[in-house]
Amino acid sequence: MPKLKSPVTRRSFLKTTLAAAAGAASLPIATHAFRRPTAKYIRYNVMSEGGQKAVKSYNFAIEQMLKFPPTHPQNWFRNAFIHLMDCPHGNWWFYVWHRGFLGYFEETIRNLSGDSTFAMPYWDWTTLPEIPAVMFDGVLTPTAEPYAPFTKSLEVFTSFIQPPLMTYWNTLSPAQLNQLNIRGYTDFNKMWNDVTGNGDPSNQAFAITPKARYLTRENPKLDADTYKNCEPSTILAGLSPTDFYNESVSLSFTSKKTESHNSAPARGAFSMLEGLPHNIVHNYIGGVTNIDPGPYGNMTNNLSPVDPVFFLHHSNMDRLWDVWTRQQQSRGLPILPPQPDLDALSKEPFLFYVNGDGKFVGDSTAGEYLSMERFDYEYEPGFPNTLQQTSSTRQKRGQVQVRGTVSGNKATLNVPSASIKEHLAAPAAAFLVAEVTVPRPSPSSPTREFHVLVGAPSDVTEVDPKSPYYAGTIAFFGNMSHAHGANAEATFAVPLPKSPQAFKGLAAATASVNIRIVPAYGRRKTPAVLKAATVRAV
Amino acid sequence: MHTLLATLISLALLMQTAGATGRVVTLVLPRDLTADEGAAVEVKVGVIARGAQIKVETTSGKLLGVISPYGLRSGDEAGTYPIPVPPEAISNKRISLRLTLSYNRSKRAPTAQEVRSVQLKITPSRQ
Repeated sequence: MPKLKSPVTRRSFLKTTLAAAAGAASLPIATHAFRRPTAKYIRYNVMSEGGQKAVKSYNFAIEQMLKFPPTHPQNWFRNAFIHLMDCPHGNWWFYVWHRGFLGYFEETIRNLSGDSTFAMPYWDWTTLPEIPAVMFDGVLTPTAEPYAPFTKSLEVFTSFIQPPLMTYWNTLSPAQLNQLNIRGYTDFNKMWNDVTGNGDPSNQAFAITPKARYLTRENPKLDADTYKNCEPSTILAGLSPTDFYNESVSLSFTSKKTESHNSAPARGAFSMLEGLPHNIVHNYIGGVTNIDPGPYGNMTNNLSPVDPVFFLHHSNMDRLWDVWTRQQQSRGLPILPPQPDLDALSKEPFLFYVNGDGKFVGDSTAGEYLSMERFDYEYEPGFPNTLQQTSSTRQKRGQVQVRGTVSGNKATLNVPSASIKEHLAAPAAAFLVAEVTVPRPSPSSPTREFHVLVGAPSDVTEVDPKSPYYAGTIAFFGNMSHAHGANAEATFAVPLPKSPQAFKGLAAATASVNIRIVPAYGRRKTPAVLKAATVRAV
Repeated sequence: MHTLLATLISLALLMQTAGATGRVVTLVLPRDLTADEGAAVEVKVGVIARGAQIKVETTSGKLLGVISPYGLRSGDEAGTYPIPVPPEAISNKRISLRLTLSYNRSKRAPTAQEVRSVQLKITPSRQ
């Protein structure tokens, strides 16, 4: 698993181009098609300067929400119940419903923090496959002490939240109750059964304070399986459909069209981005595979907004929707489905939101949230960093794919110099990625992390992330005795470094690039073995 | 055009075996991919334990993706999941995949009820 700790710098933002606007003119509804050239609020990468500032405001506002009584719609846990009662998964309202939920929540944080510039930062797990360190600070983890008065036991949580929730339930409109019926919540107790698990620990949405998040400050990383679903090739595949909706889910940007956003996911089909990175990041943070059969941490279930990292995760999902939208616009392709699907999509009622002033939004429809204009924000670029990159990538993927010859722990690859220059010139994220294959460590091996070096002189055996030769860190987790015996290798995708020092001989048509792996953190006595290396454009 | 491509689906399941480490399926495309096309496997998952995951990898050990259902109510079927397939993993229009269900620190082949179908589809662009 790559560990990419190179600092993310503040970057200039991609502006909507004339070409995009021209493409948008042919779209089904122009008001949804045009993206504002500038927005009032910027959602930063959490690792950037702007992102670090935003999480401080976020932390402060959560402290206020934890102090609100459970009768208050903006109480921290009441806010999470909006998701439990109304969230869609496995259907084509997944993106748009979460955009509304996140947008109103962002207004809440802005108001409560007093930070008039606040916008929810995003966690780009493709370039940072570990929970950002700051999300273990203060109340940014649900395992923090201030949560304990409410979540130290199910009994405490029940006595705190159940009475006001029942009162709220009794105020719901027939339309809201109808939606809950579709969800299977035909009465309050049916809903509450999903909080307690009703005897099934794996289905228990409630999590006690110390186990509310599986990953810790000491062990913050996504494992290799989880990262596979987040790696560049998977994300680009998920962005490749050119239809907002297609009956064949492989060709659809969104998940399946269903009768209601409350339809059970069982009837659904998950788009690549919802079904792969979205799902597994939720589950891994909560402990799936590591603390089976539960109870799990909050992120594994529909009370996941109890964990503050939920909103950074969904900010990233929303950013990918924006990347896809601008990609479509640049090609003159529609960003929404044609009629009558557009009406069916847009008219779906969303009835449970709470706005930034703590008021129930009441009747609203999906169509109100199809554009980012509704909340007036845009994103600092993440992976894939620019529209231009994804466009050029499509032409060059498959053309740039070089497999190296391997000896010991070193691979040598002849890579077109033009591709390396393009990689170095790309403004942010990597254009070239190395796929390195290594043997899984034996159960007794003390070394499970390796640095990947590119172009490093032979006498360089230790690096830190600031080194010009450092590409990333790959790591194995879990019990190695469970690894497959016959195919005891794993392949990791690591973006090549952006430093010119890592590449020599660029004046020639092809440059010889060497890739090595070395044991991480000074474990030099452990031999490192590289089985294969391929460089490709992503 | 995409719809047309979508219809060019190989449903051929030439071999399906259950082994100690997973269930192996071999899928065949109806034709070779063009330079601009990619492929994906669509895995239809039935009812599996909450927290269970299905790993999809080639029989040579290349991991393609992990199905990790989320947002389900207990007892629900998990739905259908597309997973990208690198074109270079397909040889002579064929690919052999191993599907492994992991749960509670054990691994086994998913049953026919747990993985209801696996289809190989042509997609409009390479991954």
